[in-house]
Amino acid sequence: MTFDKKTAGGVTIEELPAEARFSLRVRDGERAAVAGALGLELTDTVGVMTSGSGRKALCLGPDEWVLSGAPGDAAAITAACAGVYDAAPHSLVEISEREIFIRASGPAVEALMATGVARDLSRIGPGQGARTVFDGTPVVLVREKTDSFRLNVWRSFAPHLLGHLFHVQKELASGL
Amino acid sequence: MSTYRIQGRGRVNHSEPVYFTFDGKTYTGLRGDTVASALLANGVHLMGRSFKYHRPRGAVSAGSDEPNALLGTRRGKGQFEPNTRATLQEVRGNLETTSQNKLPSLKFDIGAINDASYMMFSAGFYYKTFMWPKSFWDKVYEPFIRAAAGLGVAPSEEDPDDYAARYVHIDLLVVGGGVAGIMAALTGARAGAKVVLVDETAEMGGALLSEPAVTIGGMAGWDWLAAALEELESLGVQVMTRTTAIGYYHENMVGLVQRVSDHLDHVPEGAPRERLWRVRAKQVVLAQGALEKPLVFDGNDRPGVMLASAAQTYLNRYGVKVGSRAVVVTTHDSAWYAAFDLAEAGISVAAIADIRPKIDAELVSKARALGIEVLPSHTVITTRGRLRVKSVSVAPVSNGAVGTSRVIPCDVVLMSGGWTPSLHLFSHTQGKLKWDAEAQVYLPDVKTEEVEIAGAGRGLWGYGAALEDGVVAGRTAVKALGLRATARAPGVGVDRPGTGIMVKDLPTNGDPGKARAFVDFQNDVTAKDIRLAVREGMRSIEHVKRYTTNGMATDQGKMSNMNGLMIASDALGKAPPQVGLTTFRPPYTPTTFGALANYVRGHQFEVTRKTAIDSWAEENGAVFEPVSQWRRAWYFPKDGEDMAAAVARECAATRKSVGIFDASTLGKIEVVGPDAVEFMNRTYTNPWTKLAPGRTRYGLLLGEDGYIRDDGVIGRLSQDRFHVTTTTGGAARVLNMMEDYLQTEWPDLKVWLTSTTEQWATVAVNGPNARKVLEPLVEGLDISNEAFPHMSIAECTVAGLPARLFRLSFTGELGFEINVPASKGRVLWEALMKSGAEYDICPYGTETMHVLRAEKGYIIVGQDTDGTVTPGDAGLDWALGKKKPDFIGMRGLKRPDLVASGRRQLVGLLTSDPKVKLEEGAQIVLDPNQPKPMKMVGWVTSSYYSATLGRTIAMALIEGGFDKMNDTVYIPMPDKTITAKITGTVFYDPEGEKVKL
Repeated sequence: MTFDKKTAGGVTIEELPAEARFSLRVRDGERAAVAGALGLELTDTVGVMTSGSGRKALCLGPDEWVLSGAPGDAAAITAACAGVYDAAPHSLVEISEREIFIRASGPAVEALMATGVARDLSRIGPGQGARTVFDGTPVVLVREKTDSFRLNVWRSFAPHLLGHLFHVQKELASGL
Repeated sequence: MSTYRIQGRGRVNHSEPVYFTFDGKTYTGLRGDTVASALLANGVHLMGRSFKYHRPRGAVSAGSDEPNALLGTRRGKGQFEPNTRATLQEVRGNLETTSQNKLPSLKFDIGAINDASYMMFSAGFYYKTFMWPKSFWDKVYEPFIRAAAGLGVAPSEEDPDDYAARYVHIDLLVVGGGVAGIMAALTGARAGAKVVLVDETAEMGGALLSEPAVTIGGMAGWDWLAAALEELESLGVQVMTRTTAIGYYHENMVGLVQRVSDHLDHVPEGAPRERLWRVRAKQVVLAQGALEKPLVFDGNDRPGVMLASAAQTYLNRYGVKVGSRAVVVTTHDSAWYAAFDLAEAGISVAAIADIRPKIDAELVSKARALGIEVLPSHTVITTRGRLRVKSVSVAPVSNGAVGTSRVIPCDVVLMSGGWTPSLHLFSHTQGKLKWDAEAQVYLPDVKTEEVEIAGAGRGLWGYGAALEDGVVAGRTAVKALGLRATARAPGVGVDRPGTGIMVKDLPTNGDPGKARAFVDFQNDVTAKDIRLAVREGMRSIEHVKRYTTNGMATDQGKMSNMNGLMIASDALGKAPPQVGLTTFRPPYTPTTFGALANYVRGHQFEVTRKTAIDSWAEENGAVFEPVSQWRRAWYFPKDGEDMAAAVARECAATRKSVGIFDASTLGKIEVVGPDAVEFMNRTYTNPWTKLAPGRTRYGLLLGEDGYIRDDGVIGRLSQDRFHVTTTTGGAARVLNMMEDYLQTEWPDLKVWLTSTTEQWATVAVNGPNARKVLEPLVEGLDISNEAFPHMSIAECTVAGLPARLFRLSFTGELGFEINVPASKGRVLWEALMKSGAEYDICPYGTETMHVLRAEKGYIIVGQDTDGTVTPGDAGLDWALGKKKPDFIGMRGLKRPDLVASGRRQLVGLLTSDPKVKLEEGAQIVLDPNQPKPMKMVGWVTSSYYSATLGRTIAMALIEGGFDKMNDTVYIPMPDKTITAKITGTVFYDPEGEKVKL
């Protein structure tokens, strides 16, 4: 699905381009080997994102990262991980197509996010993220900058989430 | 302008008139008025009729505790609300208000006949009257009760307004914008805490707004207030007016409802009417203050009889004189100050009757100086007047004996029975209360949350005490936050301290059995009703409440609970704590459904998930059905076809040539890791060890109890990687169950689960020509029967797209399921439609899928199973890995009930009339002539017309069904009894040759 970028009420809502994405699961003992193969650090601090070799890894759980790279990078990521699989067993599953990527940004973005996210947004700093629920819809949320959030939402939930975002955008535009 | 408005007085804007209507007549108010203050400024006291007796009523309070002045309010089409409190709703342009419970008019109401026959409508009237004859219930009593139940008219049109919601996380929430709350907020904010301060009215200040005579910090009270609010703003405190804390939930979650636009003349486009705030506060200070109690005496509900503090509020906050000649009746000093304010504003105060024998000498001398007659040790006997009070009778009380009464003409009676600390939110936390025997009030005691209670809400009185207590509460909260408090309370120059006593219904020299002394104005409960309830055996206040309905109106007894308790205690001869206190529950005040539902309405009511191919189906005329959260194409009718015709055509086309089906909603889980096969062995009933990569198997998932939970075809992609499919509705449930076992039972297994349901779009192609349609599109794989036999899986390229190709069948025909990246689902579909054109490829929906699978006896979990069906019951014993040491449900299957004979088993049913289609869910009996109630041996689970077979088919769960092959059973229906023969479940191609093409 695609939708048009819209700015109103102090927020811009836009679709982000596709990227290669994987769910990476690996235990402590094998983490370093997989990180080495991918060329980036894998932090064990949940909610923190690391980057390297043009790739990013957001730690979602004690043994779980969502790994992203350029669209053409998928085969290389798969090959890199396969190369260390026997020595460092892990799970790498491609989810590039599973989600739609939405960016909400602008001075009123926190108000917009607070209409759907129950978490304390002040505790998610730039470069951090979380798997959470937005108005009943499961999302992975990343704070790119102070006033910019990225929402990764399962494809079939995206229209519902966008329906909410555009509705609240009108609410914000009313100034009340 | 009316004679009741005092020019220049109050906090209303005297240069901005606002026009609104009440019962069709236009009135002028001022910006800042409530509907009640504006009507009172126009000399209108009569604002409604009471619920049960239709007695004329006027505003008794000036706040959210108002039980009488409940109006219908309307802005435009659909924007109607019943029971709006006139004392809280601000006037605005385009506001229509209407009185309630009147027929035909407010001033002349036929329903008032109830009032004349009040002796009939005593407590428990419903229980006693509507008991017999029993036959009257449906036709007479229930319609009568329904018509009489509820106050106001429920809206009949859809509400066009928007409602909003937000979450907010803060250090300190202060509820109540009186001086205690303001000081608590200042204390928090000065220490650097993130603070929200809320008040339910349009302005911060609380009681101070009604008492400008008070001086604080060397300033006039209102100047101090302005300075304090300015400081709060500069410190970044979020100050929210028109915001009610409706409920206090676990872990300091407080629900607030903000009335965003009800006070505005014009609502900007997109603006919500109300906003629900879900506040998570580290610390909460409750500074809700206290509510004044009415006194209970005959005629205490007549328009013009109101709380003393309300009159003071109307005067000082709104610049409105509630009348021209007042009599004050009280048990508390506070009403004396109200009397002084009124007298000083030029309202004649004829007398102050105080039930107490001894009154502060200063108050007495000030009253006398103002020309007010002082009547200590006096009670009220009654009031007179039809639509407005005209006089009040008072009498001296001496040693319990009531003396001769005298009549004092007046047009308002101002009453005060003392003050009840507001315990509502504290009670929501399940905090414990204690009875203060001296003050005769309940106070907050043992806390369960991170909360402080400040000011009048914990029984303190006077501005100095409240300011001081606000600082103390704020400091405690600040300390708990790990911050340092520096704030100190300002001194109070002119204060208004005071004391009072709590009384039951006032003594009278009249017949108490005839006294119309109201305790609960909204539910029309009198003192007599409460005494009657006690006489009839009610001992606990909870029983008294339910028997009399005292405190059960939407005001939750804000005015009536304590008076009810005092009277019940008196009647029982027990102290109030022995009688109890009813429980307060959220919401604090009536709350709109809109605020609670907020965004969850219309299109946003529930997620509707759509596949990548949904748009094609829509463009091609599909009829859809909901399947869990998904909408799925149900069937694709051609011109003029009904569902039966469309499904018959789709079935025939698939069996004859080829059909195409969107199977994208099937749940998909990727199971990866060195222990993947072990995990599969433990989870599913089937053996997986010997399943070679490139092969697939039907998998069956049970619960611990041995009953079927889910099923699906599972492919082994490599040694350590499985592609699991689940039912559409079971996707999330199965993943959760797997994760549950993995994380809690088998944390040692090196295997991980990833949901890939939405990574892939899945298209099923079925029919004898399926291979011919698919083959030209496949690269990198030989899909001939020899190279790619039934139940194979491979990765290849289909229509230029990376694909996971399954060979499997849910129709009994040669079948393939092609998985491609989700965004390319429609590309694949269209490529297959093009390739299949020469074979008349036929898109089919879920209904045809159901029929085709039923013809083959394939079960649908949740339709042919109901959570009590074992693999054996469903004829799926073959799917159990009998040599495996364990799988989920293996032990459950050994339970005596599950191995007993006579269990319901899944069989086929063929009706003796091939045209008769059984109803799914219909019950089955063995002997149709047995007496009722008949012994039912099972029910129909699936039933269809099969175009392939030219007749109807069905599946059913029947006790001992496997041993009853070819027996006749009976399905009694309302109009006839249907006969059917028990058969096997495979109606089509029993040899299973067709899938092997």
